[in-house]
Amino acid sequence: MLHHTSPHAFQLSVTVNGKLVERKILTHLRLLDFLRNDLRLTGSKEVCGEGECGACTVILNGRTVNACLILAVEVNGGNIVTIEGLAGTNELTELQRSFEDHHAVQCGYCIPGMVLTGEKLLERNAHPSRDEIKYELSGNICRCTGYHKIIDAIELAGGDL
Amino acid sequence: MKYYQPTSLTELFELHSTLSAQSSVFLAGGTDLIPRYERGLVMPDHLIDLKKLSALNQIQDSESHVTIGALATIQDIQEHEILATEFLALHKASYDFAGAQIRHRGTIGGNICNASPAGDLLPALYAFEAILTLSGPAGERQLAIKDFILGPGKTALREAEILKSIVLNRDQYLSDFQKVGLRQSMAISVVNVAFVFSRAGETFNHLKIAAGAVAPTIVTLDKFTQAFVQNGGNATAIKDLIQEDISPIDDIRATASYRKRVLTNLIGAFLAGQTR
Ligand SMILES: Cc1cc2nc3c(=O)[nH]c(=O)nc-3n(C[C@H](O)[C@H](O)[C@H](O)COP(=O)(O)OP(=O)(O)OC[C@H]3O[C@@H](n4cnc5c(N)ncnc54)[C@H](O)[C@@H]3O)c2cc1C
Ligand code: FES
Ligand code: FES
Repeated sequence: MLHHTSPHAFQLSVTVNGKLVERKILTHLRLLDFLRNDLRLTGSKEVCGEGECGACTVILNGRTVNACLILAVEVNGGNIVTIEGLAGTNELTELQRSFEDHHAVQCGYCIPGMVLTGEKLLERNAHPSRDEIKYELSGNICRCTGYHKIIDAIELAGGDL
Repeated sequence: MKYYQPTSLTELFELHSTLSAQSSVFLAGGTDLIPRYERGLVMPDHLIDLKKLSALNQIQDSESHVTIGALATIQDIQEHEILATEFLALHKASYDFAGAQIRHRGTIGGNICNASPAGDLLPALYAFEAILTLSGPAGERQLAIKDFILGPGKTALREAEILKSIVLNRDQYLSDFQKVGLRQSMAISVVNVAFVFSRAGETFNHLKIAAGAVAPTIVTLDKFTQAFVQNGGNATAIKDLIQEDISPIDDIRATASYRKRVLTNLIGAFLAGQTR
């Protein structure tokens, strides 16, 4: 929650997971709180709340960003994809299936951010090296897995087991 | 808190003139600003988002210059070809910068205006002697970056003035950048240093070294480079020579003496690599 003195309303219009959303919000509302509390899209997590961990990662206009460091008003007119919007309902992307297949998930808190970051990397570079994957994941912290299986999942996504 | 998104500089300055009495703050990528609010700093009455000023987010090149709009993101800088080939120190600094999410959002203008002693783009900008274009209600003016940053968090920006662009001369110098933090990525620099140089055989024609996190602002090690170039490139006494240029402090990340040692070693390694 951000500290402010005078609450002020703003008419927000933003595309979230392919649907146009129009809401009246307060200007000091963070994007992360808008997604989780107003839209009930709770796949994006809050852990550190200051840009260090990547648990709140969403895709804004094609690029991964930390939803905890952005005000909802800043994305007016923009396009957001959260983990909920990545695949159709009850479907998984190849990368999500690869996370399952490689047992890359433990508590799961970091995973939505890991998957979105991984998807954007694979979009640019279908066969990244392990070093490229590590570099790309440096804004995503995992306290369970030790990373190896997450890196495996991204490296081997779309391949045979 | 009222929120504004001006789309032109005229609109921005008109808006600012109506708000002058109340608190107003400029917002770029927010990666320095928003964490401050998260930690309890009270938000301003008026937040002016600069991101819709399209004149500020281009990187343009002419034969003699590259002009980087203040809103160019760290990622934009990393991906720019001329910057990668002719301004390697700046490119490397943008590569060693935070994680992807922060690079997608944080801007070069924010890194400069935040005026952190450890800002990672700053040593390269000092060593390339970047010129900043500032724009305000009274018009534009230009300042060298070393005259713009006055102290930790302090700049020469006047009321209502913004940083518009950063101008780099295409001098075709060689360059390099090194950063040492407490771990490899997502770490604030304990020391960062940029080298900009050109060589004729064994000797340097030009050598500019700028270091961060070893003084209240970035420092260029001019006393050292002068002495070094004069006495024919003898690097044995680096530690004594840089003494006069730097004034590191102890903080939670490192002690002053550790910082001095790291900087000495980084400079020594650079010179050894060049004179081998
Ligand atoms: C997790 C994390 C990791 C980080 N890692 C690094 C790192 O590795 N290296 C590093 O150097 N920094 C790092 N930072 C700090 C920050 O990301 C950078 O300093 C970034 O460049 C700030 O840019 P911004 O656009 O987000 O600035 P903002 O937060 O928008 O603004 C910063 C300040 O500058 C002012 N301002 C911004 N643009 C202008 C302008 N054009 N004219 C006038 N005033 C302006 C604002 O009013 C504000 O006071 C990190 C931050 C976080 C949260
Ligand atoms: S919650 Fe946003 S980066 Fe940690
Ligand atoms: S699986 Fe628990 S934090 Fe990554």
